[in-house]
Amino acid sequence: MAKQIPDNGYRDIFNNSKSTILVMDVDAPVYTILDVNDAYLQATNTTRETLVGKGVFAAFPANPTDEVSKNIERTIFSFEQAIQTKKPHTMSNYRYDIPIRGTDQFEERYWTTTNTPILDKDGNVSYFIHSPENVTELYKLAEREKAGIEALKNQRQQLYSTFMQAPVGIAILRGSRYIVELINPPLCELYEKTVEEIMGKPIFDVLYHARGLGFEGLLDNVRLTGESFKGQGVAVPLSRNGQVEIAYVDFVYEPFRENDGTISGVIVIATEVTEQVNAKKKLEEAEESTRLAVGAVGLGTYDLDLKTGEMATSLQFANIFGFEKPVSRKQYISVFHPDDIELRNKAHVTAIATGKLLYEARVIWTDLSVHWVRVEGKVFYDTSGKAERILGTLLDITEQRNSKEEQRKLITLVDNSVDLMSILNMDGTNSYINQAGMDLLGFDSIEEVTSTPIAELHDPVDFKQVESEVLPTVMSTGHWAGTMLVRHLKTHEIFPVFNNCIRIDDPVSGAPIAVGAVMRDLRPEIKAKQALADSEQLLRSITSAAPTGLWMSDEQGNITYINQTWADWTGLAYHEHMGSGWLTSIIEEDRQKAANRFLAALNNRSLYEVEFRIHHADGTIHWCVASGKPQYQANGTFTGYIGACVDITEQKNLQKQKDDFIGIASHELKTPVTSIKAYTQVLEKMLLKKGEKKEAGMISRMDNQLNRLNSLVGDLLDVTKINSGKLQFNPVDFDFNALIKDLTEDLQRTTEKHALVQQLTAQPVVHGDKERIGQVITNLITNAIKYSPNANQIIIRSSLKNNEVTLCVQDFGIGISQNNLNKVFEQFYRVSGDMQHTFPGLGLGLYISSEIIKREGGKIWVTSKEGEGSTFCFSLPVKINTI
Amino acid sequence: MKGKRIMLADDDPGILDAVSILLEFEGYNVTCTPNGASLLTMQTDLPDLILLDIWMSGVDGRDICRQLKQNTLTSKLPIVMVSASKDIERSALDAGADGFLAKPFEMDDLLQKIEQYIS
Repeated sequence: MAKQIPDNGYRDIFNNSKSTILVMDVDAPVYTILDVNDAYLQATNTTRETLVGKGVFAAFPANPTDEVSKNIERTIFSFEQAIQTKKPHTMSNYRYDIPIRGTDQFEERYWTTTNTPILDKDGNVSYFIHSPENVTELYKLAEREKAGIEALKNQRQQLYSTFMQAPVGIAILRGSRYIVELINPPLCELYEKTVEEIMGKPIFDVLYHARGLGFEGLLDNVRLTGESFKGQGVAVPLSRNGQVEIAYVDFVYEPFRENDGTISGVIVIATEVTEQVNAKKKLEEAEESTRLAVGAVGLGTYDLDLKTGEMATSLQFANIFGFEKPVSRKQYISVFHPDDIELRNKAHVTAIATGKLLYEARVIWTDLSVHWVRVEGKVFYDTSGKAERILGTLLDITEQRNSKEEQRKLITLVDNSVDLMSILNMDGTNSYINQAGMDLLGFDSIEEVTSTPIAELHDPVDFKQVESEVLPTVMSTGHWAGTMLVRHLKTHEIFPVFNNCIRIDDPVSGAPIAVGAVMRDLRPEIKAKQALADSEQLLRSITSAAPTGLWMSDEQGNITYINQTWADWTGLAYHEHMGSGWLTSIIEEDRQKAANRFLAALNNRSLYEVEFRIHHADGTIHWCVASGKPQYQANGTFTGYIGACVDITEQKNLQKQKDDFIGIASHELKTPVTSIKAYTQVLEKMLLKKGEKKEAGMISRMDNQLNRLNSLVGDLLDVTKINSGKLQFNPVDFDFNALIKDLTEDLQRTTEKHALVQQLTAQPVVHGDKERIGQVITNLITNAIKYSPNANQIIIRSSLKNNEVTLCVQDFGIGISQNNLNKVFEQFYRVSGDMQHTFPGLGLGLYISSEIIKREGGKIWVTSKEGEGSTFCFSLPVKINTI
Repeated sequence: MKGKRIMLADDDPGILDAVSILLEFEGYNVTCTPNGASLLTMQTDLPDLILLDIWMSGVDGRDICRQLKQNTLTSKLPIVMVSASKDIERSALDAGADGFLAKPFEMDDLLQKIEQYIS
C-alpha cells in the first residue's frame, strides 16, 4: 500500500506548489479572497494579510494608464464563465498590471489564467480557484519576434520599391546570355520597353540595335574578371518614339556575386545624360559665340595679375585705349584723363573689397581725341582670401555717353519747361510728369503721380471728353490737340488748358505704349485776352466820346472801321460805312472829289486831306475836313490809313459870314464912292469950264484918290470872291503883248521917276480873262514902282517858250529877304521890318494875282535879293493856233 | 443929242442926285426913280435910254430889264445896266441889257456908253 498523504499535507502542497493559486468565494461582484498560496504572493509582490478577506478587485485595482486591456471586464467574464459552466475557464496572454506596493506605479504583467470552480456535494459551486501564470517574459519575447519578422518584411519591401522607384535605371542580368532577371521602370523607360517585353529575356534579344557595338565584350569582362566598368556620356543607339536615335548614357556594370562569391551575372545601373551632353555642347557653342560676340561688339578683354601687376589685354582692348596693339599696364594708365584718374583708383580699391570692378572714365588718344570707356571686372581671390586676379571687359561708350548727355539735356529741358509734359501709360496713370506739370496739377511727388488715375485730374463731366474724344482720337490718329478742362488735385480748381497729345508707339512692334502730352495753362492767356478786351472797350469808349470822326482803311482803301461819332453824325449804321459805303453820306456834289483825293493819296501813300459836305443826321448839311495818314507795320508793309474827320461847319459858317460881310461892305462902300466920283468929275468939268484950272487939278487928284480907294475896295471884294469860289472869269482870245503895252502906257502916267522899259519878244495870243490878267500885270508893275522908290527904271520883259508866255517885271528896289520869299503870295502878306508902315496897302494884291494866274492855268514866282530888287514873273499857256 | 431923256433907276439917292447933275450938266434930260418896278408901268412918254442899277433894295435890275425887253412897247429901249460888281456884266447882258458899266465909273465912260446907244 502506498504511502498516504496526510490531510494537512495538502496544505503544504498548496503552499509549496509553484503554481500560483488564489481561492475566491463566489460572492459576486466582491469575489472575496478566501486563501492564497506562497507562489501567488511571490508573483504579485503581496502578503497574505493584505489579500485574505478582501475583494479581489479591491486588492488588485486596474492600472489607470492601461485603458486598452479591459482586464477587469475580461476577468469578471472568466469568473462568471467558470461559475456558470461549472468548468474551468482559461484566459490566455492577457495584460493585468500589478501595483508596485508603496507607490502609485504599476508593473506591466501578462498572464494566462485558469479559473476552476470547486463543486460541493450538491454539485453547486462553493468556491473557485484562480490560478494565474505569469507569462510576461514569454509574451514579450513573442512580441519581439513578431516585430523582427515584420521589420524584415518591411525592409525587403522597401528595398524592392527603392529598386523599382530609383531614378536611375537598374537591371540584373544573369548568365552568359545576360537574361534580364530584374529590371526597374526607369531602365525600361530608357530602353523604351515595357517590363513584360524585357523580363526573362536575353538583353540583346530585346535591344538588338545595340548588338555588336562592344557592349557584350564589356559585360563579359565584368562577369569574368569581377572588375566593374564605368561609362560616361557614352553614345548609345536607342529607340526614341519608334526611331533609333543616338542617346548619351552614363552607366556602371557591376558584377553580381552569389553568397559564395561566385559571379553569376552583371548589375547594370544607367542614367540618360543626353540633355546634359547637349546642354554642354550648347554651352561650348555659346562660349564660342560669346568669344565671337565680344570681338564683334567691340568688347575688349583683360586679365590682370594683381600679384605681379602684369596685365594681358586683347587687341580690342588696346584699340579702345587708342593703341594699335596691346601695351603695358602702365601705358594704359598713362592715357586716362587726369580728372578721372582718382575715380579709377577708387574703383580699384572698392573692387578688391566687393569683388566687382566697375567704372566709367575718359581716355585721351594720341590724336588728343577723348573717348569714354566702361571697365567691368570680377576679382578672384586665392585660398587665403587675398585678391589675385581681375578678369573683365572694356567697352567704348563714347557714343552712349554722348547720347546720354543728349538725353540728360533733353530731360533738363523737359524739367525746366514752363508747360506741363507728361507720359500717360496705357493703364490710365501717368508714369511721368515734369515739375511744371506737377506744380500745375498739385502733385507733391512722382509717387503720387504714378498712383493717381487721370480721372482724378478732371471733373467727372470733363473727363467724359477725355474718354470719348481725346484718347480715342490719339489712339486712332496718333494726335489730338485742343482745349480741355483739368482739375487741380488739391484745390479742385477747374481751369482750361491747351493740350497737345501724341501717341507713342513701340519702335519695334508698333503697338501704342503711351500717350505723351504737352499742356499749357490757358489762364494767363485768358486773363491777357480779358485785359485786351477791357482796354479795347476803353479805347472804344474814348473814340466814341471823341468829338471827332475816326476811321481806318485797309491797304486797298476799303474802310474797315469808323467810330460811333461818325456813325452818329451821318445817321448810318456802322456796316453801311464799310468798304466804300462811307461815300454815300457825302453830298453828291462833293462825293467824287472826296473819292478821287483819297484814291490819289492811296496810290502815293501820301497824307490825305479833303473838305466835303455830308448829309448830317440832324437833317442839315455839315462841312467836314477829313484827314488820313498811311500806316505801316514794323516791317514796312503798308496796312492802310488811319484818319480823322472834323466837323468844320461852324468855321465854314463864320468864314462865310465874314466873306458875306466884306462883300456887302465893299458893295456898300462902292455906292458912295460912285456918287462922290460923279460929283467930283462934274465939279472938275465945271471948274475947267470956268477956267479955274488949279482947282480943277485938285479935283482931278481927288478923283485919283477915289480910284485908289476903289481899287482897295475892289481887292477886298476879289479876296472874298476867291475865298467863296465866286471869282468869275470871262475868257477871250487876246494879244498878250498889246495888253502889256496898253497897261504900261497907262501906268507910265502914274510915275515920273521910273522909266517902264518894255522888252517884248513875241506876239502870243492868250485865251483867258483879259481884264483879270491885266489886273495881275498892273499889280506887278505898281508893286515894282512902289517898292523901288530910289530906282529909276523898271524892266518889263515877255518871252515865249514851249507854248508858254512868260512876263517878268524887274525892279531895283528894296527886295525881299530869302525867308519871306515864299510868303509874298499869301493873303495879307506885307513887307515886314522897319519900313512896314511906310508902304501902304492891304497886302492882298499878290495873293489875288497868284490866285488869278493859278485859275488861268499858269504859274507865278519871284526871285529877289534884299537891297537889290525883285523880279516877279508869271507864265501862261498860249493858244497854239494864233490869230 | 442934247435934250435926250434918260431914265435913271437906282435905290441910292446919292447916286441919283450925283449922276443926274452930271448928265444934266452934259445936256440930258434926266428922270430919276428909286423904285425899279415903276419902270414897268411906263406906258407913254418913254425915255431915250435907261440907266438901270442891278441891286435895288428888293428888286433885281436884271428882272426889270428882262421884262422891259419882253414888252413890245419897251423892247427897243436901250438899257445900260450899272453895278458895283464887275463880275455881273455877263448876266446883265444875258438879261438883255445893251450895255454895262461898273460902279464907280469914269464920267467919260458913262457918256461914251450913253452916246453909243442914243443916235
